[in-house]
Amino acid sequence: MKNLNRRQFLKFASVTALAAALQTLVSPLAAAEKFFREPPWKGKKKYWGFAVDIDKCIGCGRCAKACKTENDVPKEPFFFRTWVERYILRRPAGLEVTSPNGGIDGYPALTSPETITKTFFVPKLCNLCDSPPCVQSCPVGATFKSEDGVVLVDRKWCVGCRYCIQACPYGVRYLHPVLHVADKCTLCYHRISRGLRPACVEVCPTGARMHGDLSDPNSPLSKLRDTSHYQTLKPHMGTRPNLVYLNMDQEVR
Amino acid sequence: MKDFQHLLHVAAVFTVAIAAFLAIRHIVVPASFGRLGHYRADAVDEIKALPVLYAGERSCAPCHQEQTKDKSAGPHRTMACESCHGPALTHEAKPKAVHPFRPKEADIRTFCSACHERSLSRPRKFPQIEERKHQTGAPCIMCHPPHRPK
Repeated sequence: MKNLNRRQFLKFASVTALAAALQTLVSPLAAAEKFFREPPWKGKKKYWGFAVDIDKCIGCGRCAKACKTENDVPKEPFFFRTWVERYILRRPAGLEVTSPNGGIDGYPALTSPETITKTFFVPKLCNLCDSPPCVQSCPVGATFKSEDGVVLVDRKWCVGCRYCIQACPYGVRYLHPVLHVADKCTLCYHRISRGLRPACVEVCPTGARMHGDLSDPNSPLSKLRDTSHYQTLKPHMGTRPNLVYLNMDQEVR
Repeated sequence: MKDFQHLLHVAAVFTVAIAAFLAIRHIVVPASFGRLGHYRADAVDEIKALPVLYAGERSCAPCHQEQTKDKSAGPHRTMACESCHGPALTHEAKPKAVHPFRPKEADIRTFCSACHERSLSRPRKFPQIEERKHQTGAPCIMCHPPHRPK
């Protein structure tokens, strides 16, 4: 390169600096664009999702019971992979959320029903996040998001540190009292991989629960998502759940 | 030349340390770790291999044709057999030896009430009764055949 005079040098240097600055701005933007706009199932053969229709749930607790049976979850009333909560909204303002034994044994009769404005059941399970805080927080790589979109726990590799249990904003994890490893809903991975429905979906009497393949635009779940109004739990957490709730009230957390 | 000797010593120490690190890493980290991501890929197959207890709806139809037909015509058509009868894969494997759950007539009112007892929390359209007042003492199945209730 020929010798530059001062003006040329300054011009060249400022243009280069500007280009570099723009580049640092653009690449995170592109990454963010990809993060928010591209569906996580793009290019995947299979990607599991789940939907719950709150208007169909009758709170019978069959799902919670079947889940415990199928997955050998301890029977004590504080270990659940899925459970059903009853929401009661009252006037004057008041919100009660209860889930005695996960809803397995039913719910006590409603007290002073004349003050109740709204009441309904909300089944809870793993939210199948696309940015799962539990996976992020695991120090040993024992919990992970599988290729087909299910968050799983490697029981042989988990050290039982409980970080993931604290990290999950939905409280779906617990420490297994016998195995001393973190445990959670696997969407009945052993069943769905064999073409069966998850145990909770199988026994739900009203079809309030539905699982399906999001990578297939013609699957019943994809069509349901295309045609219904749905919400996810705690969207402000940035977890991007693949568990969606139909007909959900804003009080549901 | 004397200074060069120092460099050789440091290089030897580094070589041994790196070799030891790689050797220990090879022993400690499981073979399939990192194949699919930051986890043990074999774990996926281990979870897939866990035992199944609920046989699934389609397993019942071949033998229990009558009940399946009844159920598909009535309001219980959205339900799977195992919803009331419990896990039945062992029954499918040994139909004569293992029998799935069947509610006893004495408990049937409690059993049906788990879904059909009146509650404000249930969807309004869902059929509900007040068990305490509704045909007291009579088993539900006397009037409502369970596979095809009316």
